[in-house]
Amino acid sequence: MTRAWHAREASTVAILLAEVLFFTWFLWPEGDRSHPFLNVGNVLLIFKYSSIYGIAAIGAAIVIICGGIDLAPGAVIALTTVVTGYLFVEAGWPLWLSCGAGLLVGLGAGLVSSALIVRARLPPFIATLGVMGIWRGAAYIITEARFYDLSAKLPPGWRVLGVPGDWLGPLVMIVLAAAFQLFMTRHQWGRHIFAVGGNEMAARFSGILVDRVKVLAYALAGLLAAASGVVLAVVQGQGKADLANGYELDIIASAVVGGASLAGGRGSVAGAVLGALIFGVLRNALPQIPGATFYDRLIVGVVVIVIVVMDQVLVRRER
Amino acid sequence: MAQLAFRDVHKAFGAVRALAGVSFTVTSGEAHACVGENGAGKSTLLKILGGILRPDRGEVRVDGVPAYVTSPRDALSRGIGLVYQERLSFPNLTVAGNIFAGREITTRTGGLDEAAMRARTRELLDRLHLSIPPDRRMERVSAAHAQLVQVARALAFECRILVLDEPTTSLTDAEVDHLFRVLGTLRARGVTLLFVSHRLPEVFRLCDRITVLRDGGFAGTFVTADTTPDAIVRAMVGRDPPDRLERHAPVEGGEPALAVSRLTRRPAFDDVSFAVRRGEVVAIFGLVGSGRTELVETIFGLARPDAGEVRIDGRLVALDSPRAAARAGLALVPEDRQSQGLFFNLDLRQNLALPLAAIRGGARIDAAAETRVADEQVRALSIRAGALTATPDTLSGGNQQKLVVGKWLATGPKVLLLDEPTKGVDVGAKFEIHNIIHRHAARGMACLMVSSDLPEVLAIADRVVVMREGRVRGVLDGPTAREEAVMRLATHEVEGAA
Repeated sequence: MTRAWHAREASTVAILLAEVLFFTWFLWPEGDRSHPFLNVGNVLLIFKYSSIYGIAAIGAAIVIICGGIDLAPGAVIALTTVVTGYLFVEAGWPLWLSCGAGLLVGLGAGLVSSALIVRARLPPFIATLGVMGIWRGAAYIITEARFYDLSAKLPPGWRVLGVPGDWLGPLVMIVLAAAFQLFMTRHQWGRHIFAVGGNEMAARFSGILVDRVKVLAYALAGLLAAASGVVLAVVQGQGKADLANGYELDIIASAVVGGASLAGGRGSVAGAVLGALIFGVLRNALPQIPGATFYDRLIVGVVVIVIVVMDQVLVRRER
Repeated sequence: MAQLAFRDVHKAFGAVRALAGVSFTVTSGEAHACVGENGAGKSTLLKILGGILRPDRGEVRVDGVPAYVTSPRDALSRGIGLVYQERLSFPNLTVAGNIFAGREITTRTGGLDEAAMRARTRELLDRLHLSIPPDRRMERVSAAHAQLVQVARALAFECRILVLDEPTTSLTDAEVDHLFRVLGTLRARGVTLLFVSHRLPEVFRLCDRITVLRDGGFAGTFVTADTTPDAIVRAMVGRDPPDRLERHAPVEGGEPALAVSRLTRRPAFDDVSFAVRRGEVVAIFGLVGSGRTELVETIFGLARPDAGEVRIDGRLVALDSPRAAARAGLALVPEDRQSQGLFFNLDLRQNLALPLAAIRGGARIDAAAETRVADEQVRALSIRAGALTATPDTLSGGNQQKLVVGKWLATGPKVLLLDEPTKGVDVGAKFEIHNIIHRHAARGMACLMVSSDLPEVLAIADRVVVMREGRVRGVLDGPTAREEAVMRLATHEVEGAA
């Protein structure tokens, strides 16, 4: 039996649970009023919000495990919303086709990054930093400061295969997380991604087609960022060039909090999604604490550092 | 059974000729050694065989048929299994994951068949008499076992030709015995062996024939039974082996130059005391894991001890930083020149002048003084380099090592610590480095050397401090000590305990 689920994911779950318990206790309402944090509507809101960067964080985890880094997902998300919005609103394409085209844009974006890394031998940080600017710029050029209002064209209370729009993001995130968790732990290609991140030279000497593995990793990251973009466009009903600004850092932070090591070779897709939820809960609950309004960014930063330091201490003790 | 032949193989990297027309044949079922100094072309030859490099001219034949090996995967599918010298394992994968990396057992859709891989791994490890759980992560497997896992990896694909590049470098004698027994079984089953090694005793023990490479060319194939190690060394260096060193007497009496007392850093070493007089060469001998490297690193201030003290000329040294150690008159030539010794982004002059400048402090770089210091060392150590503006990667291993020695000699140390000073350098450079040590000892410098090369230790040390499991087990007189006596102290009880 392969363990698709490791101790590291369990500790991320523990952190998430501890966080939920803390806010449930801290925000416990006086008298008979309903709980402001622990109620169905709010939980759905957290999932909805987290899913946007949670889906892209799956891709970030894959790239980081492969020993790389991708700074482009925020820009790819924005470009995807713009392309999907343009095709659906302006060009009159059907919704599913517009979304499909959006996904292809993400796939293409990932392939461009990987070509720069594999062919031009650019360091991944530089390649994706440049590419990030190009996609964000492309989104602005297409929209020319307008935005596409998808919600106006979507029927009120619309559903996809019986799923209400609000549930779409969380559902996509959970399905993709499960699928890619299995892919990374139980499929040969996932194993090769771990191998390349663990020791690239050894991978080459083992007959693993290292360049092809890298292309796969960045293509998946692009595709998953685009999936985030499609969900964002459909759920928020907007295609806009300045959406998801700065998300790349939240996306990378989610993967890292979920156990991905920037040295490569270590990490987990499920952990990345759990990491996204950890941030989602913080961002949702902190503003509800009176007087904490201006502290939430600072606290989120501290939490990243604390979790990663804790992880390193535990790993060191294990050795 | 398979026959392997190299036919007029050429390979150049820019202006450097790595291989210039090498031809020899490994007959079916034999154990064949390939030896040569560093830079003789052995690694290049193996990389061609493994499909990492392509020859510029010439070919490799397997069973008489030209085999154009295009990739490592291709080599495996032709039945050629290679165990490389480099650390080619995946620390983040399990033992089974390492063995099958790149050639996983899968279902039709590419799903991993972990159960099958684990079962096969267990079978392979059993064959090698290794009791490592297949699920253990590689980072928790010892270096010696990691080497054997690489052998298991080559065996997993039923290779007919097994090529081993310096497989015994990190193994103890018992582990070497173990490996050789395994190789013996494989030969009995018809596997052809190509064994690349620096260690002639092992070559003579294992192989039927020995091919010598020199400067990228073929220098002869010898039948082991009809030749001697001296003849092989002559073929390797192209001249007679250097004479033994002349000894000189250490300075008697007075305060010892280096006095280590009750130095302890758990778990690496415990209660270590010894002294080195001016002009004396003392060697610390011990197997991997005996705590010797940790000891010299602690003396040099790279790690804090739990207890104990170090004195130089009777004055206490603060063991808190290499800078303080260097100011007190210590210098350390570290074990790994690539990662610990040299700056490959800086030129020779900057490399050679750096420690002296760092010790003196100050902000200004005096280019003229740097050149003076560097020139002096290049001349004194006869470092063969194009110009002072060249970077260390243009130098051979031996000259790189002399560079590391030189940058510390430039500081004029009272006590020179050397950790494996001749590891991975060829015979000629080794002799030169021994001479450098002796020359400086004759001028009154105290030298403390860590080495796992026992003949070297006995050849150049005045005294030998033997360590085992972090403690000093005995101090022997270098010129009169016998190998067996040293080995007994270094390994005694280890066999029983392991």
